[in-house]
Amino acid sequence: MTNIIDVSASDRPVIVITRDFDAPRDLVWEAITDPKHVAVWYGGPGFTNPVCEMDLRPGGIWYHVMQAPNGARYTITSVFEEVVAPERLVWRTLRDPDRNPAPPTSLNSVTLEVRGRQTRWKLVSLFDSIADRDLSSKMGFAHMIGLGADRMAAHLASVQGAKNDD
Amino acid sequence: MREPRIADIVLNHIVNNLLVKYVTNDRLSPVFFALADPTRRGILGRLATGDATVNELAEPYDMSVAAISKHLKLLEAAGLVSHSRQSQWRPRHLEAARLREVVDWLEQYRRFWDRSLDRLSEHLQTLQQRAQRKKRGQKGRAP
Repeated sequence: MTNIIDVSASDRPVIVITRDFDAPRDLVWEAITDPKHVAVWYGGPGFTNPVCEMDLRPGGIWYHVMQAPNGARYTITSVFEEVVAPERLVWRTLRDPDRNPAPPTSLNSVTLEVRGRQTRWKLVSLFDSIADRDLSSKMGFAHMIGLGADRMAAHLASVQGAKNDD
Repeated sequence: MREPRIADIVLNHIVNNLLVKYVTNDRLSPVFFALADPTRRGILGRLATGDATVNELAEPYDMSVAAISKHLKLLEAAGLVSHSRQSQWRPRHLEAARLREVVDWLEQYRRFWDRSLDRLSEHLQTLQQRAQRKKRGQKGRAP
């Protein structure tokens, strides 16, 4: 079991974390992409995940509410960018408008690599700087996020509607 | 007087554009941006050993003093470096507490994944044991 963090190897603010699991790749893929499994492990011991909804496709929203042991709830909304079963999952966290200061947003890629009987899980988190945001908006990325956010807004409205119907 | 290099001109442009665009309530983004460059990390490393003037900071680099000044402006905008107004030579000072904030945040992020992956590892074991038992159970029931 390994866990490597590297914040200085790149010119961009990046964190790399790797972990080897004693499990076949298909099972690891299932555990990181099926909400009923993600809700079990996300956040670690003592944390619960009252909401975990994953629209597993590029442009799809991952809407997540994590509850800390002290009861504090954190809403994390992301957009999937790449979904290549069973080897690569890429998602971008969206800025939380309700938190000030909001945590930095990041582009996260998880790759799963077969290593004998083990599966290597590797996360690369690229953190946004203002320069990246400027660049990404020039490249049309902001538009894509916009589409995702609209879909999310519609989704939240329907959830709200369902609640009101209760 | 040295001819300004293309790199200096580009850096000048970036600094001038970015300084006005900094969002004041977003405390970490400017710091992440400031840390994303090897020269700026080098400057911070030098300042960690003690205060230094712009000329002293420029010494190890194949860069104009003006270019180093631009890097310093970014570091100052991010709150990582400060200087006293009184002194003529204005030695730069590392704001270690500000850097600490970022390191703390990264540490928190790392811990989050550490805990999550521990739990994921356990969960994968449980899933595999469950599958094994199911398999054995089916074999046992087979005629």
